[in-house]
Amino acid sequence: MDKDKIKKALIEMLGKEKVLSEELDLMYYSYDSSFLTKLEPSSPLAVVFPRSTEEVQNIASFAFENNVDIVPRGAGTGETGGCIAIKGGIVLDLSTWDEIVEIDAPNMQVIVRPGVIHAQLNKELSKYNLFFPPDPGSSQMCTIGGMVANNASGLRAVKYGCTEQYILGLEVVLPNGEVITTGGVKAKCIKNVSGLNLTKLMVGSEGILGIVTRIRLRCWPRPKARGIAMAVFDELDDAPAAVLDVYQAGILPSGIEILDRSAIDAVNQFKPEINLPQAEAILLFEVDGNPPSVEYEGSLIKEVVGKRARSIEWATEPKRMAELWEGRSITATAAARVRADASRVFAGEDISVPLARVADTLRAIRALGDKYGIKVVNYGHIGDGNVHTAPVINPENPEEVKKVMEMVHEIHLLAIAMEGSTTGEHGVGAVRRQYAELEHGRAAQLMRDIKRVFDPLGIMNPGKLI
Amino acid sequence: MEFHKLPPVKDQIMKCVRCGKCRSVCPVFAEIRNETAAPRGHVFMVQMLRDGKVEPNNDVNERLSNCLMCENCSVNCPSGIDIHELNAAARSYIYDKNPSLSKELIFDSLWTRPGLLKASSKFMWGAQKSGLQSLARHLGLTSILPGDLSKAEKILASVPRQSARSFLPEYNPARGEKKYRIAYFLGCGTDLLNPQVARATVDVLTHYGCEVIIPRDMKCCGLPHIANGKMDTARKLAVHNIKIFNNGDYDYIVTDCASCSSALSSKNMEFLLGGLKIEDEAIAFSQKVMDLTQFLMEKLELKLPGKEVDDRIKVTYHDPCHLANAQGIKKAPRELLKQIPEVEYIEMGEANRCCGGSGTYSLTHYDLSMRILDKKMDSAMETAAAVIATCCPSCMMQLRHGVQRHKWNATVMHPVELLSQSLKQTPAKK
Repeated sequence: MDKDKIKKALIEMLGKEKVLSEELDLMYYSYDSSFLTKLEPSSPLAVVFPRSTEEVQNIASFAFENNVDIVPRGAGTGETGGCIAIKGGIVLDLSTWDEIVEIDAPNMQVIVRPGVIHAQLNKELSKYNLFFPPDPGSSQMCTIGGMVANNASGLRAVKYGCTEQYILGLEVVLPNGEVITTGGVKAKCIKNVSGLNLTKLMVGSEGILGIVTRIRLRCWPRPKARGIAMAVFDELDDAPAAVLDVYQAGILPSGIEILDRSAIDAVNQFKPEINLPQAEAILLFEVDGNPPSVEYEGSLIKEVVGKRARSIEWATEPKRMAELWEGRSITATAAARVRADASRVFAGEDISVPLARVADTLRAIRALGDKYGIKVVNYGHIGDGNVHTAPVINPENPEEVKKVMEMVHEIHLLAIAMEGSTTGEHGVGAVRRQYAELEHGRAAQLMRDIKRVFDPLGIMNPGKLI
Repeated sequence: MEFHKLPPVKDQIMKCVRCGKCRSVCPVFAEIRNETAAPRGHVFMVQMLRDGKVEPNNDVNERLSNCLMCENCSVNCPSGIDIHELNAAARSYIYDKNPSLSKELIFDSLWTRPGLLKASSKFMWGAQKSGLQSLARHLGLTSILPGDLSKAEKILASVPRQSARSFLPEYNPARGEKKYRIAYFLGCGTDLLNPQVARATVDVLTHYGCEVIIPRDMKCCGLPHIANGKMDTARKLAVHNIKIFNNGDYDYIVTDCASCSSALSSKNMEFLLGGLKIEDEAIAFSQKVMDLTQFLMEKLELKLPGKEVDDRIKVTYHDPCHLANAQGIKKAPRELLKQIPEVEYIEMGEANRCCGGSGTYSLTHYDLSMRILDKKMDSAMETAAAVIATCCPSCMMQLRHGVQRHKWNATVMHPVELLSQSLKQTPAKK
C-alpha cells in the first residue's frame, strides 16, 4: 500500500498527534540497543501511539486488510532489533500507554498497560509492601510490555525466576484486530490450569503473535532485609563450584553475580577507587528475606564459600552493601570504557550455559577474544548460568566489525555446544533467528506453524524470533 | 573548528549503545514522549548529520532544539557521552549552513555588546512602566511576535530600571583584612534582570574580606550563543573574556550565575577552544572560576554564628542544571542556606529536576517549557516555602513566572540575597 495512503488513514483513525510519518521522525525509530541496528538502522513506514485497546484493534484491522506489517515497541531498550520494522511497516510505540489500571493488593496482583516502566511499577507497589520481582538492569527505562514480549529477567532470576512466572493473564490484540484474553476472561485467581496455557505462549513471543494491551501480574511480598557477600577466587573453576556449594547447603540467594578477571580489570580501570582485588573471579551473593534468615544464610554462605574463596566479606549495612555491589553495578558501563577509541557492542551478549560449564565457557570466550584480537569483558548472572559478554571494538571500523561478527557467531555456537542457549534473557529478535533450527530442531518448524495460526498473513513483527 | 573534527563528534558518537538510560532522566522526553525527543535520538541524529545521511537544515535543527541542554542525560550516560555538546555542535553546524538575520541581530550585534543589551533592557523597562507592554498585549500586538515569543514575553515581566553595572563601582574594597582579590563575573542575567543579586554578591564578598573588581569590559559568557547555534560567536566572547580576566591579577573569578560558571568552566573551554592556540590560557582562566556559593563555603569556609530567631523563613532550593549537572555543585548552596539563622531549610522533591527555563528555551519553546515548569512548581509548592532559592538568573526568571502562573505567594531569591540580609541584621565582622 502506498505510504501516503497509510499515513492518511492512520491520521484519520488516531488523530495527527498520535502519528509520526515524516521521514526525519521515522529515522528515530530505526534503532534499538542492538549492534544490528547500529550497523543497519531501518525506518518504519509510520509510528503510532495508541492508548486504548480499541485503537490498537483499529490499527491491526487496517494492517490486516491492507497487508501491512505491524511491529510493537516499548522503550526500545532491547538488544536484538526486536522492535524494529526491518521490513518496513507500522511501529506501535506503546511506551506512552502507561496506566496502572488496578493494584489489587488483597489478591496480590496488579493490572497494567504495556507502557508502564518497571521501576515506576515497583515504586507504586512498594506502597502496598508488594513488588514485581524480575529485576532487569534497565529497570528505570524498560516497559512491562517489553518485559512480557522478551520474558525478561535479570539480576534476581536465580530466586524469583523470569517474567513468565508472574503473568497471570493478558489481553492480546491479534493481527486481524480480534481481541483475546488469556488466563481466563474474568479470572482474578492466581492458580489456573484451565485450558492450554496461551499466557505462557505469549510471554517471550517477541510480538510475533499479537500485541499485548493489558497485563495481569502477580506480585510478591517485599522482603524486609537483604545482605551481600563478596567472594574472591584465585581459580576460575572455584567460582561455579562455590555456587553449587551454596545451593547444596540449602540456600537460594536472590542474586549470584560473577565478574571474571576481564570485568575486574575493566572496573578497576574505569574507577580505580573501587579497587577490586586482582583475581580470576569475584562472586557477589545477595540474599533477602526476614532479618534472622538473612543473617543465617549470610553466615552459612560465608562458611561454605570461604572454603574455596581467597577471601569473603559479608555485609548487611546499606552503605557497605552498596560499596560491595558497586563493582557489579558499573560493570556494563566499565566494559564500554576499557578502550578509549572503542565501545562495547550488544552482540553475542547473552548466552546461557549449564552451571557446571560456566568456567569452561568463560575460558572458551577468552580464547575467542584472543583469536580475533578483540577485548571481551565477561560478567553475568552465574546463579543461572547466564553469561554476558561485552566485546569492545570500534564500531566504525569495518575490519573490527567483520571480526566481531565472526566472533559473535562462534560465541553463539559455543553456547549450543555447551548444551546451553544463544540467549538467556535478551531474546532472539532479528539477531539470533538463524540459530532456531540448531537450537530447536523440528520444534522450530512447529513454532512457525503456531505463528501462522495467529498471523496467517505474516504481518506481525516479521523477521523475528523464528 | 569544523563540525566533523570537534572531539565529541569525532570520538563520542560511536560510544552510544542506545541503552535508553537517557530517556529516563530527560525532562523534555518526559513531556514529548517520543523518540525524537530522546537524548539518544539526538546522538543518533548528530551521527546522521555527520555521516551526511540528513541535510543540515532547519527541520533537523527543530528536533535538536527541543533539548533544554540541561545536561541531565550527559551526567547519567553510562557511556560517558557529552550529549549536550554533540547537540550544541550540531546546532552550530546547521546554523552555519542556514544563517538567520534575526539571530545575527540578537546574538552577534546585541548580545555581544553590553551597552546595547543594557539599552534594550532599559527600553523593556520603559515599555513596561509606561503601560506600552500592557497596551500592546491588550491590542493583540504581541501576537505578531515570531514563534513562541508572543506568549513568552510574559516571562520578561518586571525588568528592573537600573542594571547592576550602572550602580556598582568597578572597584569594591574589602572590609577588614583583605583575604582575596576577586574578579566578579557579572553575567547578563544578573546584571540586567537581578541587579539586587549583584549588590548582595558584592556586599557579601567584601564583608568577608574580598576585594571585588568588576571588569567593565567583560562580555557575555557565551552560553546563550552555544545554545542557539552561534558557537563561533561564543568562541570570540570566550577569547575576549579570557584576555580581560587573565590581565588582572585575581585570586579567583567568582560568579553568582550557574550558567556563567558552567560556560567558563574548563569542560566548556575544552569544548569551545580545545585544540586552538588559546587552549592553555583558557584552562588557566577557567581554573580560577568559581560559583559564588562554592567559593563562600570552600574558600571562605563560611561559618555564621548561630542566633535565636523567632520567625524563621521557610526556604526551599532549586538546583540549576548548569550548577548541579554541569558542575556537580549541589552541597554548597544548601549548606549556605542552612547556615543562615533566619532560614528554615526545606528540601523539595526532585530539586534537581529542570525548571524548563534554560536561558532562551522558555522564550523559544514556551508551551513545552511551561509543562516542565508546572512539574517543578508542584514540587516547590509542596514545601509551602516562602522563598524559592536558586543560583541562576534564568531559573529565577522562570520560577518567578511559575509563582505568578500558580498564584502562589512566594518569592524567588538567590541564596546570597538571604545571606546579605542576614548579615545586615548581624553586627559587622571586625
